Amino acid sequence: MIEIKHLRKVFDDDTIPLKDIDITINDGDVISIIGPSGTGKSTLLRCINMLSEPTSGSIIVDGQDITQKGCNLNEIRKKMGMVFQSFNLFGHLTIIENIMNPQITLLGRSRQEAYDKAMYLLQQVGLASKVFNYPDELSGGQQQRIAIARTLAMDPDIILFDEPTSALDPSMIGEVQSVIKMLAKSGRTMMIVTHEMDFARKISNRILFMYDGYIYEEGTPKEIFEHPKKEMTKRFIQRLSSLTYRITSADFNIESMNEELQAYGEKLLIEAERLSKLSLAFEEICMNNIVPESEVPDILVKVEYSEKLDILTMLICYKGERFDVASSGSRLFLNLLAEPTTEVRQDDITDDPMGYEHMISIRFRWVEGE
Amino acid sequence: MRKVLLFLLLAAVFTFSASAEALYTEIEDLNGKNIGVQTAVLYEELILDRVPDSTIQYYTMPNDMILALQSGKVDAYLIEEVSYGVQKKNHPELTVLEEPAGYINATCIIGNNERQDRLLSELNAFIAESHENGMLDELYDYWIADFDPVNDTCDITGFTGENGIISVAVEGGYEPFSFISNGNISGFDVDFICRFARAYGYTPEFYEVPFEAIAPGVESGKYDIGMNIVVSAERNETGTLSDVYYSTPIRLVILGEDESSLTFFEQLGESFNKTFIREGRWKLFVQGAGITILITVTSILAGTVLGFVVFMLCRKGNRIANGATNVFLWLIHGMPTVLLLMILYYIIFGSSSLSGTWVSIVGFSLMFACSMIDMLRVGCSAIGRGQFEASTALGYSEHQSFFKIILPQAAQHFLPIYRNDVVTLIKETSVVGYIAVLDLTKISDLVRSRTYEAFFPLIVTAIMYFIISALLTKIVTAIEHSIDPKRRKKDKILKGIKEVE
Repeated sequence: MIEIKHLRKVFDDDTIPLKDIDITINDGDVISIIGPSGTGKSTLLRCINMLSEPTSGSIIVDGQDITQKGCNLNEIRKKMGMVFQSFNLFGHLTIIENIMNPQITLLGRSRQEAYDKAMYLLQQVGLASKVFNYPDELSGGQQQRIAIARTLAMDPDIILFDEPTSALDPSMIGEVQSVIKMLAKSGRTMMIVTHEMDFARKISNRILFMYDGYIYEEGTPKEIFEHPKKEMTKRFIQRLSSLTYRITSADFNIESMNEELQAYGEKLLIEAERLSKLSLAFEEICMNNIVPESEVPDILVKVEYSEKLDILTMLICYKGERFDVASSGSRLFLNLLAEPTTEVRQDDITDDPMGYEHMISIRFRWVEGE
Repeated sequence: MRKVLLFLLLAAVFTFSASAEALYTEIEDLNGKNIGVQTAVLYEELILDRVPDSTIQYYTMPNDMILALQSGKVDAYLIEEVSYGVQKKNHPELTVLEEPAGYINATCIIGNNERQDRLLSELNAFIAESHENGMLDELYDYWIADFDPVNDTCDITGFTGENGIISVAVEGGYEPFSFISNGNISGFDVDFICRFARAYGYTPEFYEVPFEAIAPGVESGKYDIGMNIVVSAERNETGTLSDVYYSTPIRLVILGEDESSLTFFEQLGESFNKTFIREGRWKLFVQGAGITILITVTSILAGTVLGFVVFMLCRKGNRIANGATNVFLWLIHGMPTVLLLMILYYIIFGSSSLSGTWVSIVGFSLMFACSMIDMLRVGCSAIGRGQFEASTALGYSEHQSFFKIILPQAAQHFLPIYRNDVVTLIKETSVVGYIAVLDLTKISDLVRSRTYEAFFPLIVTAIMYFIISALLTKIVTAIEHSIDPKRRKKDKILKGIKEVE
């Protein structure tokens, strides 16, 4: 349906956000574009509907190259919806007019038709009560749902989402994501630039990992998130989701692990105190107890942080003798375990592909003003 | 004993000065004081060597000097004896120093155009002839020595015009030389030129121009003859002057005793009567207010349209068009209104027959267009780029985006500024008197020059400006409200739609 060939974009200041992009978008595709900041994700999206004019290359929509001069872009754009990071609802129009007016002006629908369509969509996004409000009277999440409804009203063949939840308060991300999920299920063709990996994984059938102006790796969510093949993708996925360490000797470098932990915490805004609790638990369990007890240690440690639930988890899998955390001789560690915000689970595991026998999982929650 | 004598002497001096009509008796007494003089008449040169430390203050209208004297801004002012005679009739508290400051010799300045030589020789011949046959003395007696401001009239008809029209610049608010009487131009200068025109087959057309604008106007060739130019060396270098047609002493006017015995309300009634009722002067005010409103409203409409068109052209236009517009904006914004009007009137439209009113409309339209362009630029840049991107992404054309999305929002930003600019424009039009337009301010000046009323016409004119501003502000506010999208009613938004619950 849309075929992009050798797309290249050079900005006026000589930065090159897109170097050479080739991709075909098929009907029904839900494509998420992920990758570090500044790698051209949004620029690619904006080139597809020519909001940014590509420097070279071609974009073929239904057999027509829209980068050619003389192409009626307004007609093409009517078939491509776009949802912006900053919503961009028309400030001087009520909610109902924001959805009605483009239909009347651009599609030539009657006022009644446009109104009926708008009301139907407002019900779909759960905002039928806001018909006469103005955009600045609504929350960010509500505005973004209206923006999606405005786009849907045009019956587009494809919808481009440019970081639809990045400007939202965390509490409002969910409501917008569920609307987009609903659309994905209904078989619409969509392309989404997002930083929400969980979300991208759940709704997409294709993931594009962009790096340095290229589509660095492409695949299904499972391929990209679980088995990335290329180096930068691996690093990006891992750094994003968790920190993993394998300890196979008593000489394990705790300092470098703590440094990485610190950087991870800074990136995800985890409190330093919570991280030091985690470090304390790690040292007590692994370095003071499991390592000295085993001849050849083999411990897998995975640190994970869920922003949504605000829980920091450390998962320790190990071989050899079982260690009961309650038998620790450290008063400091035992006090930590006794805190109401700390949860510990100890299990034996069987049939692990890597042969681990025991597992300890500690979850650190955070209560403000503790 | 000596102390008592000294005390008595001092007391005598004080009593004497209190009972005397004024504090000053000699010109030298005024040294170091403030002295008023009319702009461009150059009388101050006559006494500067005798009062070297005095500060000279310049006034456009002779009557403003009375006001300045009464309020203590000046301690004395210089004026021709004839004008003092008229002023004294209305302001008995005025008095003069015995010794005249000097004498002035008045001439006519001849326009810098192809008729200059011919007019000069004809005028000089007429002056010489009139001196000989006593006609000028007769005129001097009639208009100056025995001036009767109410009954003196001059004949401004009977022209054959076989040799064409001559345009004559006169002050217009300068009794008894040129002033408005019963709605017509009248006075010594007018009478003199009319007699000249009849004798040499011209039809005179009179323009009321402030003194300081007469010489430049004549130099630029806009007027053929400028009246009442006092001879000085400098003037002779730049202008072509006729022979002297009258000569009169110049007086130093100071404040004497106020003999007025009218109560406040009697004075007010008298002022009202003089300003509005006598000679049907209210008609002049109505006419002046009409001109002010005409200039203001036309300039606003034309300026708005022009500004909008230029803005639209620049929006899509190339760098050169934008650069040119910016230079133009910079030029017009940086220039005082009076200068812009005078440049337009005397230089750019100097040789055209466009009337002062239309030149004013052109000038103010240009100024308002510049403000309009700025307003549109500010208003549109206040609307985030996102609005334009959103409408473009939906498929709106450039044109549709601008008119349906950007402009309605920009309007809400710039309309309050627009309202202020309208009020500013109304006030700025008060300078059009400089290019011979009889607007409200100029009419008020002319009437003041006849009535010698100081405060009343000023206050009344101010009130009239307030009323005009209030009316226009109301109209703009009404427009502002009517296009404010947030003031619409619910049923207007859903016009023609059946709501289904």
